[in-house]
Amino acid sequence: MGLVRNCLLPSDLLYDVPTNIWVRELEGGTVEIGMTDIAQTLAGSIIHCRPKKVGKKVKKGKSVATVESGKWVGPVRSPFSGKIAERNDAVTEDAAILNRSPYREGWIVRIAPDDLGGDRKGLVGVEEAITLYEDYMQEKDLASCIHCAGFEE
Amino acid sequence: MLSLYTDAKYQDVMVEEKQALFDQVTQDMRYPDVLYGCYECGICVAACPSARFYDFSPRVFAQVMAREDVHTFYELLNDSVWDCSQCFSCTCCPRQNNPGAIITIMREVAVNNGLASAKEALQAYSRIIFKVMSTGTQVSPDMLQPDFFPDWGQDVRDVAENLDVWRRAIPPETMHTVELAWDVSEKTRLELYMIWKLTGNLEMIENIDEGLFMILEEVMEELLEEHGYDIDDFDNILED
Repeated sequence: MGLVRNCLLPSDLLYDVPTNIWVRELEGGTVEIGMTDIAQTLAGSIIHCRPKKVGKKVKKGKSVATVESGKWVGPVRSPFSGKIAERNDAVTEDAAILNRSPYREGWIVRIAPDDLGGDRKGLVGVEEAITLYEDYMQEKDLASCIHCAGFEE
Repeated sequence: MLSLYTDAKYQDVMVEEKQALFDQVTQDMRYPDVLYGCYECGICVAACPSARFYDFSPRVFAQVMAREDVHTFYELLNDSVWDCSQCFSCTCCPRQNNPGAIITIMREVAVNNGLASAKEALQAYSRIIFKVMSTGTQVSPDMLQPDFFPDWGQDVRDVAENLDVWRRAIPPETMHTVELAWDVSEKTRLELYMIWKLTGNLEMIENIDEGLFMILEEVMEELLEEHGYDIDDFDNILED
């Protein structure tokens, strides 16, 4: 498990640091994506998450879900072009899962990428992510990640 | 032109850049009706709630604009322009100045030009902008969250946990809402979106927060599609 300023970064994931997204490669060529610990900290208590419908086509860099906290709203940007294969209805019903379990229960969508190999090139592994997040958090003036009660690694 | 304040910040920014932004404010069609001159009486400051809590003065805005002090103008445009609560108590001015309206125009110029300070100031309020532009209601009950209102103590926890129950206790059915201040019809939402789009307000949002713009466009255009409208029709209206 990678750690930067109390923010957890699991070693088995890939990261898109500028958009604060993690990626887990699944069997069968699909990818699972979600928000990082840093993203959930920046958002605060998340109250809504609305992933797009299954079957929707999505372009790299565009939104696959909308996330809302008290006064903030933002997109979950897809690091892959492709089609939404599955969405996590649990986070629609209880968006606080994104704060509680950002890397496990809090996956947002699974995507069938058009070009897995090509789009994956823009992602980084945990070691590089740690270095990039150190700068990112400095820039955002974020001292450390905040974990709510019941937070799951 | 010397600055009213010799220690004005942003000395490194070219005067031409400051002047161009200053001119955008003074060329606004509302500008001739908001500033007539200043007695420096301070009545506006005495009436101003923001002046009580911040290093902020509506009088300074009137003074700086009247003196055409572009250096201090640029400092105000980047800093204290966001400290105003836009309550317009300052319209008690005996010269009929309206410092609050000067600030309205300045904020629009800051946003239209995508100033980094404007982006930063508005970043924390993206959901409020989203609500206004997608529903026409500004504040939603579910904004009452413990981490946003720590000063409410336990009260905000109780309210947040049972929000739907509290809302159902309000007599008008149109207010039994959690995500909106009151019920808004889809027709109203679509009309609003058309107004934002046709008047260029969406572009303004794109300048300030590209992510928010993307969400707004997607959510509203999906709603349009559901109602059988073709978004290209709007472009045709624009061309006409």
